[in-house]
Amino acid sequence: MEPSVEGPDFATKVRRAEEITHRLQTNHWKFATVPEMFAKATCDVVAKEIVTIHDGRVQTLYGRLVMKGIGSTFQLESPASALNVTLPGRPKLFDDINRQIGSRGLSDFEDFRKLPLPQEAEFFGQTMFYQVRDLVFWSALHECGLSPSGFEELAGHINRGEVVTSLLFKPSRSSKDLDSPVLALAHTCKQFPTPVVQWIPKPLFGGVARETLHIDTLLTEEPCQVSHPFLPLVADGIVVVDNRRYHMRRFAGTSPKDAVRGPGTGAEGPRQS
Amino acid sequence: MNVSAHDHGCGTVAFDLYVRGEIPRAFDGSLVVATSRRAKDRTVFSRWHDAQADLMRLDLYPGRPGRICAHVLSVDSTAANLCGEFFQESKPRSSLGMNSGSKNDKADYAPNHVTQPNHGVNVAGSTVWVTNLLFGAPLEVDLASWMPRRVLRYVDLNETATRTTSTSHFAWSLDGRYAYFHQSLLEQASRKTLVRATDLRLIRIDTRTGAEHIWTLIAPPGDCALESSNFHSGFYFEHGGRRYVGLLRTGALLESLTAHTIPVDHYVAPMPLSTIWIAELVDEKAALQAWLLDGVTSNGLALSHLDVDAAGQDGFVLYANYKEAPVGEETHGKNIYGEPPADVVEHYPGMIVEALNYGTVMRYEWRGGKKSLKEFRRPYDPGQTALGHTWLPINIQLSSDKQRLFCTFSGLRPRLLSEHIAAAYPSRIAEQSDVSFVPPLLMRLNAATLEPDFGGDRNHLSYAEPVAMTVVGGDGADYVCTFSPELGLRIILGDDLRRLICHGQSPNLMHWRDSHFRPEPAHMEFVHR
Repeated sequence: MEPSVEGPDFATKVRRAEEITHRLQTNHWKFATVPEMFAKATCDVVAKEIVTIHDGRVQTLYGRLVMKGIGSTFQLESPASALNVTLPGRPKLFDDINRQIGSRGLSDFEDFRKLPLPQEAEFFGQTMFYQVRDLVFWSALHECGLSPSGFEELAGHINRGEVVTSLLFKPSRSSKDLDSPVLALAHTCKQFPTPVVQWIPKPLFGGVARETLHIDTLLTEEPCQVSHPFLPLVADGIVVVDNRRYHMRRFAGTSPKDAVRGPGTGAEGPRQS
Repeated sequence: MNVSAHDHGCGTVAFDLYVRGEIPRAFDGSLVVATSRRAKDRTVFSRWHDAQADLMRLDLYPGRPGRICAHVLSVDSTAANLCGEFFQESKPRSSLGMNSGSKNDKADYAPNHVTQPNHGVNVAGSTVWVTNLLFGAPLEVDLASWMPRRVLRYVDLNETATRTTSTSHFAWSLDGRYAYFHQSLLEQASRKTLVRATDLRLIRIDTRTGAEHIWTLIAPPGDCALESSNFHSGFYFEHGGRRYVGLLRTGALLESLTAHTIPVDHYVAPMPLSTIWIAELVDEKAALQAWLLDGVTSNGLALSHLDVDAAGQDGFVLYANYKEAPVGEETHGKNIYGEPPADVVEHYPGMIVEALNYGTVMRYEWRGGKKSLKEFRRPYDPGQTALGHTWLPINIQLSSDKQRLFCTFSGLRPRLLSEHIAAAYPSRIAEQSDVSFVPPLLMRLNAATLEPDFGGDRNHLSYAEPVAMTVVGGDGADYVCTFSPELGLRIILGDDLRRLICHGQSPNLMHWRDSHFRPEPAHMEFVHR
């Protein structure tokens, strides 16, 4: 996924990515005309713990993400507000809240406890895509490709005035097949102004994990009845974070992904003639 | 604005949406949406009968950003508050001295919903009639107060005919004054026979005076199997000085009148091909003999939704869609991959229509005595997304100038397709190797050719849009609205489906305590203020 070359070879790679992008754009983003753009990497978030702090004006989302993938370097793409800023994650925040409410966080899930210990990883190389062309160019340059359905979904977000953020992570150990996938843990944070609570949209299936073990903890300064679109309420009360009291509502369960295909069905790719 | 909802009593809640962009002047009015709400806990077998019907009225106030206020009415499906209308239904089993395992066919018919308006929306002036996908009688709601007025039922229930079926989407006279819809009883002689319609009626409501006219409807000679006599949509036209109503005979088959109590796989009777019934409206007659519209040669299942251009009083151009889906079946049990529901997180059982194959959009023209048919059907090719697809067509609506046709397609979630349902259609189901996820789509077609209306740089389509859609004209432009509780209300420029004009959303739309809106609402209607 990384360019892996520099100097004149990199300039060649950039020209090649531009040529692919131009070809795809002039063909109305039909991937069949540029088969090399079909996605190659596979990666999914298998478990996530999110803390959403909404103060009535600004929403801050802290994420503890456990990802499973095949490869060596992975990318996490997600739509975001155009006013979004990406901040460093806060690993201790989750333990701090969980301790107050008597939870082990993701380890409350039996299925999570069965997973191997994930490697610690850090996100790097944050990029924001403002138009579909940027997204395609970056993906061509990094030779990771795109799934057409995923591309259409992200294009929709861009058309609606959002941006697509991209973060990379590279666990120390890589994987070549599904039998021994990489499991990595990383933390992130997003912040953007909004007067209403905005939940993260349903993620798209990346080919590895069809669903997500999911904890979402909403903290608000005032009591509220806001509920999660698909997770049940499992706890509510008061927690203290950074010496501030928050009203807490916790939702937990297994959340679905979109674009899930049936077992044995391959990823979107060039049509076999 | 805040994040809390306000209970106004009487089962209604109101709250503002967070609005970005601009609400065009054409939107000085309200959008009405019928929804279905179920428990989030998917281990509970949540039959469609158990779903709560909520009606949303979104009041729009043009401006930048303008304002959108949502009013949500939770419908009491027993209509208990509408006294005097419905004593023949809804006797609880306990009062009949039975349990759910009763073998007494004749008595095992309660409890029933009098009205469960979670699907179609029909509007005239300050009155809204909301309908179910298939069952029950329309609920009449006063638009201003957002309170139910009455249930429209014109047939009498009895011990074997314990339910009704009505047209979800009414036909309207050319001046919009008269509404037409079908209603009949549903009866089941025994558990070994299919449910069949009896006592078929065609009803006309004069929206100015409130007067009603009821005809008996006689099935066409070539299509008198009353097991499939249900009609999802109707249309009106005039020809040679005479008035007619057309009814899309959808053809859903029901194996049982009662709701599933346990989600066991069962025999599924394959639906027959859909037809279109035509009846001439003659006030002096008590009974109208319907006949079949000829030349509708499609091999399609579940003819469902339509728009019609009947101007000129010389026939019509009908635009309609076939779902290629076994409507009327409750999805449950193992899916086509043999996976149990517990392993399929996106699964929620109960009346989810999942397509067997890609559907069809048709254009049927009957003008000046000449008839012609065009059809458009297309699989989803991920390598050629610009071509669109026709998987599970839902909404279909003409632009103001009748030159373009806006359509929504729900796509396919293959893991939601039940094995026992698919098994009933071995020759119709798509090749397993071709079946994969198909994203929802909003697409603009050329109304004359039915081909995708390719604009510059793919402005004729937008993927991942909610399927509930309506087209609103004004200011010299057409706007397309889409809505789902999770994704909110979107107003899109009809000329360029990539251009979002306005977006309204609220977390209060996404949930209601420990329930959520499933499946997504299918339709909505706009009413000018």
